[in-house]
Amino acid sequence: MQENSTRKLLVSSSPHVGSGLTTEKIMLHVIIALSFTLVAGVVIFGVYSLLTVALCVASCVCGETLFNLIRKRPNTVKDLSAVVTGMILGLNLPPTVPFYVPIVGGFVAIMLVKMLFGGLGRNFANPAATARVFLLLSWGTQMMEYIRPIDYASGALTVKDFFVGFVDNAAYVTSATPLAEVKSAAGTGAVDVDLLDMFLGNIPGTIGEVCAIAIIAAAIYLIAFKIIDWKIPLTYFAGIALFSLIFYKNGWNFILPNLLGGGVLFAGVFMLTDYATSPNTRVGTIIFAVGAALLTILIRRYGGMNEGASFAILLMNLLVPLIDKACKPHPFGYRKPPKAKKGGKEAAV
Amino acid sequence: MKLTFKHGIHPKERKELAADSPIEVMPAGAKVYIPLIQHIGAPAEACVAAGDRVKAGTIVGKAASYVSANVFSSVSGTVSGIVRRTNAAGRKIPHVVIDNDGEYEEETLPPLVDPTKEEIIARCKEAGIVGMGGATFPTHVKLESKTPIKALIINGSECEPYITTDYRLMLERPENVVSGIILLAKALGVDTVLVGIEGNKKDAIDRMIYASDGIEGILIHELKTKYPQGGEKQLIYALTKEKVPNGGLPSDVGYIVLNISTAYAVYEACVLGRPCYARFMTVSGEAIARPANLYVRTGVPFSEVVDRLGVKEEYVKAVSGGPMMGISLSDLTPSVSKGSSALLLLTEREIRAVRPTTCINCARCASVCPMNLMPMMTDALILQDKIKEAKEYYPMSCIECGCCAYVCPAKRPLVQSQRLAKKLIRELKI
Ligand code: SF4
Ligand code: SF4
Repeated sequence: MQENSTRKLLVSSSPHVGSGLTTEKIMLHVIIALSFTLVAGVVIFGVYSLLTVALCVASCVCGETLFNLIRKRPNTVKDLSAVVTGMILGLNLPPTVPFYVPIVGGFVAIMLVKMLFGGLGRNFANPAATARVFLLLSWGTQMMEYIRPIDYASGALTVKDFFVGFVDNAAYVTSATPLAEVKSAAGTGAVDVDLLDMFLGNIPGTIGEVCAIAIIAAAIYLIAFKIIDWKIPLTYFAGIALFSLIFYKNGWNFILPNLLGGGVLFAGVFMLTDYATSPNTRVGTIIFAVGAALLTILIRRYGGMNEGASFAILLMNLLVPLIDKACKPHPFGYRKPPKAKKGGKEAAV
Repeated sequence: MKLTFKHGIHPKERKELAADSPIEVMPAGAKVYIPLIQHIGAPAEACVAAGDRVKAGTIVGKAASYVSANVFSSVSGTVSGIVRRTNAAGRKIPHVVIDNDGEYEEETLPPLVDPTKEEIIARCKEAGIVGMGGATFPTHVKLESKTPIKALIINGSECEPYITTDYRLMLERPENVVSGIILLAKALGVDTVLVGIEGNKKDAIDRMIYASDGIEGILIHELKTKYPQGGEKQLIYALTKEKVPNGGLPSDVGYIVLNISTAYAVYEACVLGRPCYARFMTVSGEAIARPANLYVRTGVPFSEVVDRLGVKEEYVKAVSGGPMMGISLSDLTPSVSKGSSALLLLTEREIRAVRPTTCINCARCASVCPMNLMPMMTDALILQDKIKEAKEYYPMSCIECGCCAYVCPAKRPLVQSQRLAKKLIRELKI
């Protein structure tokens, strides 16, 4: 009994048990899911892609450390969110960008978008989407240069094929993405793309976005571990399909090319689901995803660019506080306060 | 489809620790310390003095007002004085100290034979019966509801992890529980009783169905195993699909909710004439050598309870009540009271304490909140002293179930924020 009464016990507010899920664990799950698409990207475009993503991650982690050092705050990199941001940004870059692009992009994402607004959970815009848009504006040409996937079918593979980007870039064929075809076909209504290639990832594009199967596998993984809410990507994809039907001539032909081409799948699974920059209300989440789908299609159909997912996400990010405010839920059992009679004096109270 | 409510969580049940231990009667030690506050409402006023002889069942504290409850000695012996001691809630309150003579002589009330509605309510009041699930609201007040009551709802969900006393009661003494339920229904003047039991207690459901067989009006329902299934509003919704209005009481929609141990206490008081001085309590947690379901007298210090069952491992937290809504203790001096549904000694492994970090805005807290609130908003706004804005997120509707904090990956103290918001709103009259 003596022993009992001298023991030091933790005293805290209820509850006294927890789920065991932590921020780091969530980030780790996201990193694993992102690796699916990274592996696919490296197989499709060669090892230089790995370097690009690694540089992004490194610059994000360094950026966050540096920021914390300057602000004399405890370092937050061990929550792994900087790694996630780095990976998402890297996977959103073309496979052969010059090495300084990921470095600058990583710093922009972390320093300007994430940390200046208070760090994890407080930033209003998606760091990776913002940095991608920033890079597009700064290095338009390099950011639009997409190479063809390694041609495994030809049988004459050389080591060089895997090291595209390290060696002379010009030797490799750059090519238009299927989205260019989608854009030019919008008038006629007849799209000439190979859907199977788009599904497998045998198309030009950014490192992470091309391989649909890898992204779908990652989505299943994240949903199974309850890291993301399946309603967000599914609503977004449904919205893309719906708005393809509405805004294109012979819309049926455009549903799959719009879904599989460009960053729609990747953005729906990894970027729209970003906790900090998506709504916290149930209804708001749906509005957010539908809005992003509408903007994506409008940009693709009428805008100056072939791709629209990053811009659409960014624009919707800005609306999140408004959406959440408008969709604030009422508590269980809420009843509307009885309407005051017209001219009633007590009404104001 | 099993009956249930919206949202909520599935915490680790840990009921296996104590579920198979039959109820065991624990004798009291040399001294018992009877707290004079064992209920919600005005403290009872001491009506004995040092040197008085008492028996088990002798009144030692009189209810001070309508919302209050009588308090009884739990042993026979001599009152040695009235001292201030810390209770489970950490407050210093008066306790009647009684030297136990070990005889356990009883002082009982006359058993009631075929009592009327008024007699049952009077008996509940006289016997000091309060909500035994842990809420400790005086039962007679609930029974004298001003609004018309359609049905009595009996909470057999026992949704808090670890706790298994209601389960053992339904398994071992279902007839007594049912006779308590019949008395309560009579006191309320209702013909219908809905009993909700979580699906993880199938054998208890069977026993209750068997025990209530042939008695008209008692309907036993299986509920989905989900926390907080036993929350009054959640339980009513699960069983009837009716919503208690925000800020209202179950009686506003015509129901009164009481739990299994309360029904048993009513049986004891009316049929055996035994006032409320002992209760069933689960003692569990991985640090307890022999987890058990005890029939323990009020006033026995927690340390004696722990000594009886033994400690096998280092524990970091002691909790009076369930792990989701119970109170953590700074030591084991407080004594068992009418509301002590459980005593848990938890190890580091079980509580998984992690330092809080910043909110990552994942919305998990909002997605599990059974009251449909946005706990992250209250938390953030309270930290910035924006109390008016925090009120917009309805902290007053929070039932403090703890689902939000349970799932939070950043380990935000969300329930604490809700409580703080409530307190500030009340104090500042915003
Ligand atoms: S906010 Fe209150 S009611 Fe909602 S989950 Fe948290 S503790 Fe429960
Ligand atoms: S669960 Fe925790 S981290 Fe997630 S939104 Fe709520 S408070 Fe923030």
